[in-house]
Amino acid sequence: MNKIHVTINDKACEVEMNLSILEACKSLDIEIITMCHLDCITDVGACRLCLVEIEGINKLLPACTTKVADNMIIYTQTEKLKRYQRITTELFFAERNHVCSVCVANGKCELQKLGYKVELDHIRYPYLFPQCDVDTSHPWYVLDHNRCIMCTRCVRVCAEVEGAYNWGVMNRGSQVRIISDFNTPWGDSTTCTTCGKCVHACPTGAIWPKAIVQGQLDKKPEMINELVRKRKMKL
Amino acid sequence: MSLLDIDERILDVAALADIVKCPIVDGKDLPEVDITLVEGSVTSDEHYHEILHIRKQSKAVVALGDCAVMTNITGMRNYFNLKDVVDTAYVDAISNDKSGNIPNDPALLKLNEKVVPLQEVIDVDFVIPGCPPDADTIFYVLFEFLNDRIPNLSEVKKLKYG
Repeated sequence: MNKIHVTINDKACEVEMNLSILEACKSLDIEIITMCHLDCITDVGACRLCLVEIEGINKLLPACTTKVADNMIIYTQTEKLKRYQRITTELFFAERNHVCSVCVANGKCELQKLGYKVELDHIRYPYLFPQCDVDTSHPWYVLDHNRCIMCTRCVRVCAEVEGAYNWGVMNRGSQVRIISDFNTPWGDSTTCTTCGKCVHACPTGAIWPKAIVQGQLDKKPEMINELVRKRKMKL
Repeated sequence: MSLLDIDERILDVAALADIVKCPIVDGKDLPEVDITLVEGSVTSDEHYHEILHIRKQSKAVVALGDCAVMTNITGMRNYFNLKDVVDTAYVDAISNDKSGNIPNDPALLKLNEKVVPLQEVIDVDFVIPGCPPDADTIFYVLFEFLNDRIPNLSEVKKLKYG
């Protein structure tokens, strides 16, 4: 196994080649905050929470989509990064309508946990309060755009693990939306297999089963990881 | 009124501070005070003037609860036009008297187009999020302030929304 030398937070470390910075940090028990990352599916660098500072590069790079290189000097815990993480989290809250007290995911939400981690007590930016649709057309599940943070974990898990390609992304900027097929109601989808992987992959209360009431949601995103490992073992 | 959730510990607060005004105690004007806990968001002209007055009279303003900090449920009408919201309640609702009259008595407060959290109107010194805000957290913040210390919610793992 080829090993390379990197310096992470002023500590010399030896890691395997071809790992992303995120994977390398994980193997060394260095915590990096992420939202759009899910073990075993492709990383896209959507949430910008895992940004790290690398010496010699004058912009911040996402740890999940940047590979480690020999003699790389990486910082994951600087004050600048912490400030950016808090700003990013505040913008998640300000962009759509996250009303925790009426949300099915209340108390079990990754966005809430992220807020606590980055010490977010209030949002300094004006709320956009967009009018977002709620798609209840599926017989079992609901898609609530108000609570979506566009991590695209549902899109990737549907394409890569289930192979159904039901979910997609349309528009840009604040108009960006997750869509089922060609922007048709989820219930009319000809590709959805109703497997429920997107429900478990979703970090917030944006996709949830109808049989659930406020604060009762219990998601198991680690199940996706297990499924991928089991399926590969069979292959 | 989440303050009352601290139960008998309100006696510890009363030993260190005088509680001079409270919505259910009296309607007197707010005198000059050290700390004001404000619940709820700014939804109308009356709230707007009230919060400016509170800011003027208080050395420290504490936003208490998700409504004050992030508008919470009160802000859910912001996704729609104010007219649509009022019509839904007084004109289109099945339960109303079909007259279509919208109450406009001068004694009633006038709703603003958008609901905003306190920090968009005034400088807020401290926030306690939570719906409802946790009683232990309220007591912790008050006790720290009354003993001349600055509380830190994330340090004591008391941050909570929803």
